[in-house]
Amino acid sequence: MSILVSIIFIPIIGALILFFVPNWKTQLIKNIALNVSCLNFLMSLLLWIYFDHSTAKFQFSQTIYSESLSFTIAIDGISLFFIILTTFLVPVCILVGWKTISNYVKEYCIAFLILETLMIAVFCMLDLLLFYVFFESVLIPMFIIIGVWGSRERKIRAAYQFFIYTLFGSIIMLLGILIIYLQTGTTDYQILYTTEFSEKRQIIIWATFFASFAVKVPMIPVHIWLPEAHVEAPTAGSVILAGILLKLGTYGFLRFSIPLFPYASMYFTPLLYTMSIIAIIYTSFTTIRQVDLKKIIAYSSVAHMNIVIIGLFSMNSIGIEGSIMLMLSHGIVSPALFLCVGVLYDRYKTRLCRYYGGCVHTMPIFCILFCLFTMANIALPLTANFVGELLVFQGVFCNNTLVAFLSATSMICSGGYSLLAYGRVAYGSCKPYYIRSFSDLSRREFFMFIPFVVVTLWLGVTPQCFLDAMHCSVANILNI
Amino acid sequence: IFLFENHFKTVFPEIFCLFASVLLLIYGVLYARIHQANADTLRRKMKIFPPIMVNHVSLLVILAFLLTLILMFNNPIMHATIFYNTLVCDDLIFFCKILIICSALLSVCISLDYVRKQALNAFEYIILLLLATCSMLFLISSADMISMYLAIELQSLCFYVLAAFKRNSEFSTEAGLKYFVLGAFSSGVLLFGCSLIYGFTGITNFSELTKIFSCTGENQHFTGALIGMIFVAVGFLFKITAVPFHTWAPDVYEGSPTSVTAFFAITPKIAILGLFVRLFESSFYDLNTEAAFSLQLGTTQGVSTTFNKLLSMEFTSTLPWQKIFLFCSIASMIVGALGAMNQKKIKRLLAYSSIGHVGYFLIGLCCGTVEGIQALLINLIIYLVMTINIFAIILSPVRRDFVHSVQRIKYISDLSVLFKTNPILAITLAVNFFSMAGLPPLAGFWGKYYLLFSAFSCELYLVAIVGGLATVLSCVYYIRLVHISYFEKIQNRLIFERVPKINGWILAITFFFILFLFVSPGATRRS
Repeated sequence: MSILVSIIFIPIIGALILFFVPNWKTQLIKNIALNVSCLNFLMSLLLWIYFDHSTAKFQFSQTIYSESLSFTIAIDGISLFFIILTTFLVPVCILVGWKTISNYVKEYCIAFLILETLMIAVFCMLDLLLFYVFFESVLIPMFIIIGVWGSRERKIRAAYQFFIYTLFGSIIMLLGILIIYLQTGTTDYQILYTTEFSEKRQIIIWATFFASFAVKVPMIPVHIWLPEAHVEAPTAGSVILAGILLKLGTYGFLRFSIPLFPYASMYFTPLLYTMSIIAIIYTSFTTIRQVDLKKIIAYSSVAHMNIVIIGLFSMNSIGIEGSIMLMLSHGIVSPALFLCVGVLYDRYKTRLCRYYGGCVHTMPIFCILFCLFTMANIALPLTANFVGELLVFQGVFCNNTLVAFLSATSMICSGGYSLLAYGRVAYGSCKPYYIRSFSDLSRREFFMFIPFVVVTLWLGVTPQCFLDAMHCSVANILNI
Repeated sequence: IFLFENHFKTVFPEIFCLFASVLLLIYGVLYARIHQANADTLRRKMKIFPPIMVNHVSLLVILAFLLTLILMFNNPIMHATIFYNTLVCDDLIFFCKILIICSALLSVCISLDYVRKQALNAFEYIILLLLATCSMLFLISSADMISMYLAIELQSLCFYVLAAFKRNSEFSTEAGLKYFVLGAFSSGVLLFGCSLIYGFTGITNFSELTKIFSCTGENQHFTGALIGMIFVAVGFLFKITAVPFHTWAPDVYEGSPTSVTAFFAITPKIAILGLFVRLFESSFYDLNTEAAFSLQLGTTQGVSTTFNKLLSMEFTSTLPWQKIFLFCSIASMIVGALGAMNQKKIKRLLAYSSIGHVGYFLIGLCCGTVEGIQALLINLIIYLVMTINIFAIILSPVRRDFVHSVQRIKYISDLSVLFKTNPILAITLAVNFFSMAGLPPLAGFWGKYYLLFSAFSCELYLVAIVGGLATVLSCVYYIRLVHISYFEKIQNRLIFERVPKINGWILAITFFFILFLFVSPGATRRS
């Protein structure tokens, strides 16, 4: 039994154990869920330790043969960090609901553990059809998480939008998978990687995949579900949504669209550049006029993910590595910001900017952390996002100067909206209505933030240890 | 040696089934009076109306089904053509028969409690179910127009009675009437089709029809037979509620007693689709139409070719019946999805959802390939499991506040309490609806995946794309159901009584089937 298989199965086993714990023992339930997910995190670190940096081969591979179904699970340098990111975020999700989730605790924990399994399976699946299956199956727990533990009345609508948008895109992708399957007779990634598709067919299949991934990323015309879903989701839901689910689309581009259909990828690059630049500029300006804190962060995620897309389609290893770094750092920073908003929401029960102000006077520790993550979101040097964005712009610059120029405007815009939002929350005079109801971070919340701080700085200061692991795989994708 | 010795061995399960229904009928009639007397005394004493007889008989019917199933598996002769070519047996038929008996068995099992509580005080009800099942067994193995028509009529007659079984309810009688009129009409159409085919070929036997159609060259046309075939197809499409002929389905589903609806929703579809496969994939497979059409519709040639292209893009060798089924399939998927969207009553919604599913089944049928038929059969299994699961919930008893009579879930909004009062049922229902919508790891997805794959592999792109998009459309209302059962505020309080034990078991088994089919999706494929 390889480490990878056990990583997939540990959360499921945890969920099964939880099924047999009676409902009222909430403390026990939370403890079990937290321990299981932490154990899984440690196991996933083992993956990194045993990972061989010097090869682009898929490692830890485990092939499952049965009479009807044979597939391989394995990881390479690209999926390694996504799996670690997933296992890193799930304990936080359980921890963030420690006090605030009071109804359906058991279901909450089970939903997150099952979600964890599904997400890890997405990242290590080397079979196109099963990738699709897990890619989509994430919808079900997410739908329930948004709907049941979401905060307001609009949550249902948000859950609906999230569901229908994503499903619509992915059904089209299924048709693309069927076309591939009909040509090759297999959906195994490693075989498909060596298959040639005709140019016309590449374009068709690429477009079908695009329909699905563009919704998940999200690209500009189909991004509406994201702010809605984020605003209505519970904090933990936003953490997963921003941390992992947005990465599914870009991961799909990187894993399937680019290496399998190189011609179509080149063909569609101008389209993607245009869409991404529009998205970056548009969402950055939209963010400035938002008053809901969660919406601000959600829109800024849209901008960041579109920078990722630009990096991916720069078609050189600097840009792609930058994109992966940006995905990782966005997966750390954006959830951390959502946690910050969650902390505020727990105290103020509102997310609208105009009710906040002067938090520095009342919640100094919180404001320091919030400031740090805001700076990371702007991509301040020495924080996580900077490395990613720098590499992306560098990569794109080799390819297309104008695109690099236009997408670099996001640096300015993100500074604008992030600092504006931070200023509205932290500075100014205290609002008198809430003067009694605040308290600074509790110990649990503080511990919850510590790993994020550490990783943010680590990614920013020594990115080399992350980049080392992905060099070979990225080079392999580009066929260098 | 008696001429038909082996023949009777081959149809032993059917014969057993038939005899069982007759014997049970005799038992029922003879003893009903005695039990009635007992019941009368009970009624006088305790003010309750126990349908004792129904309980006995339904248990016996379940036993009969089980025995038939056992006999079916132990039948020494699996492949045969018997009774002067009127009946055949082969693997496909065997499979469909097993499926039919299972679905009938399960639908009787889940409705036991319903019958008891609803005081459907007539045991004929359950015997009619047995008889209908028996006739469907004959229907599926019939190899001749005449035996086919007879079997289908026997089945339909049972259904007419069943639909109108609740004589006190206006809905039920109306449903019975509607079903009778339209069913009789469709049987008439079917019969006319059969007679046309017979008139123009002089043959009623399926295998002979195969021979005669495959032997014809370019110059010989069976225009009359072709029209006959269209009539037969229309008659059958009526019976499985495919779209242009679906109008009766929602009314009948809603009006007839729920236990009967559970039976209607699944079993006849299996039988008729099984027959479809045999009739159209083998007998009419080579019916030469292109020439006939070009002769007949010389002027409209252009129209027909564009129509051709529209339906199946680059499809070259169109099968004659394919166009009809393609049209019906596309229309069923769309109408099923759109029609279900603004339904308020759960049974009407399920009716439309089953219309949509029929659309998907027809995809598999019009492929005309091995994959298509395989996908169709897999889908039938999955559909059977999902429908049984839903009806097992709908048939379990609830109580309304301040109303002491036991009721059933009638409106969709009645589901709104489910997550609060009965979370496990809610999870089961949610998983089932997700599966019906075709969400990936669940069983329903694999069914649709195989269907779309088979459609793609024979280049029916349009139908595959419409199928995909109809999935998204149908998702809208399935998700609405999940949303109602999970997130909606409680409007009218319903209190769930204990789910009957047998329903519980069936629910559990089907739930795990739906959830864990993905562990080995090919398991269904082996058959």
